[in-house]
Amino acid sequence: MIARIKARTLVVIQSLMDWMEERTGIVSMTEHFLYEPVPSKGRWLYTLGSSTLFLIVLQFLTGILLLFYYVPSTDEAWDSIYYIMTEAYFGQLIRGIHFWSANILVVVIGLHMMRTFFSGAYKAPREMNWVVGVVLILLVTVLAFSGYALRWDQEGFWAWEVGLKIGSYTPFIGEYAATFLLGGDTAGPATLSRVFVIHVWLLPALLAPLIGVHLYLLRRHGEFGSEFEYSKRLAELRERQQIEEYALYEEGEGSLEEDDGTSRG
Amino acid sequence: MAELQRDPITRGQFLAMGIVGTLVGAVLTIPPFVFIINPIIETNFQGESDIPGDWVELGSVWEIPPGAPKEYRVEFPQHQTYHLPKEEKGSLVNAIYVSWQDGKLPSILEDRGRGSLSTSEIEELSQQINVLSNHCAHLGCPVRWLEETGLIVCPCHGGQYDINGDYRAGPPPQGLFRFAHEIREDGGLYAKHEFTNGTPWVV
Repeated sequence: MIARIKARTLVVIQSLMDWMEERTGIVSMTEHFLYEPVPSKGRWLYTLGSSTLFLIVLQFLTGILLLFYYVPSTDEAWDSIYYIMTEAYFGQLIRGIHFWSANILVVVIGLHMMRTFFSGAYKAPREMNWVVGVVLILLVTVLAFSGYALRWDQEGFWAWEVGLKIGSYTPFIGEYAATFLLGGDTAGPATLSRVFVIHVWLLPALLAPLIGVHLYLLRRHGEFGSEFEYSKRLAELRERQQIEEYALYEEGEGSLEEDDGTSRG
Repeated sequence: MAELQRDPITRGQFLAMGIVGTLVGAVLTIPPFVFIINPIIETNFQGESDIPGDWVELGSVWEIPPGAPKEYRVEFPQHQTYHLPKEEKGSLVNAIYVSWQDGKLPSILEDRGRGSLSTSEIEELSQQINVLSNHCAHLGCPVRWLEETGLIVCPCHGGQYDINGDYRAGPPPQGLFRFAHEIREDGGLYAKHEFTNGTPWVV
């Protein structure tokens, strides 16, 4: 009885998934997105990319929440953060997650890069994904640094000033870059506005599609060589499933076609 | 050759498309680009500053002691994203170090009352006074006077300057930035947000 209910439930779920798959392709898309074969040796190291993605998503979510209170003006920036930390419910938690996950993100993304380098996962045909990854790490670094200045406290201000001075030493364009980031020749309201735009709009807008490209290239080429290619693994998986289904049918323990007439090819 | 192409276009059509494409591209990209680089145009090409070149009073020459710089805190009015003529906001407080050349009180101030200064006295004092930005010439950190060493020292990377603001040691490429200054007849010392030896940025 229980076996029969179980089989029926499975059939219903399966037919639902088939229905969705036929119309949206969501099942194969999810499968394609979630599963990536990796070598069993050191497999935990292959979670660093997912961890990075998770932390970036966390940054986006907590960042949006902080924007409900943060005021990007030289007179109110620090006060608004003080309000978040002392008055707003769960303010410390939200900002704490934003702050610490940003710090951890920089470390994790560095480890992810190191793993990619030492495991040789940057080699052909994955060079472009390495390049995209390098651009992503630069974007994340600038994001972390610009977030520092948004606090407009002593620590953030002086860190920004030092960073800006380093940038001003860039040959040919340093002077212009400094003026551009300052919004003039001194730090003031325009500076904070520009840092805000860079941190909240410009860099996330560049980051999100590049993460998409990074993931697409990962799916396209897989994490490793041909023995781990996704399409091959998927074909083998499908073949195995068909053999198993056929074996079940042969044994007469529950043919899918007999139960409800649905066919899974 | 044109008849071999699937969608043959003439040279004139090709050029026309190129010209229209360039015009549309220019209309779409130039205004937003110029909009965001406005500060570069104003500052680097037109030589404008966020801080109007008004003289700000620091104090008087009689207050500056021998052997050590005196620190003044000044808030220059700033016009940046918004202009508030009556109530300036958003400007930063600058610390300015003022010292006598080599820390020695000028001889004309010794045994002299606080009467008005003559033109020649003003000229002599102007040459012997240092009006220094407190931002390190290396990366801009705020420097401070260390009594024990008789040096102005940067806490960030160890840049050292003497009492005149001249480079002594560490990574700074030059001495401290010097404010344009003015001494008036009553001994009043004024500074302007202009620098005589480079651009410090930020302040």
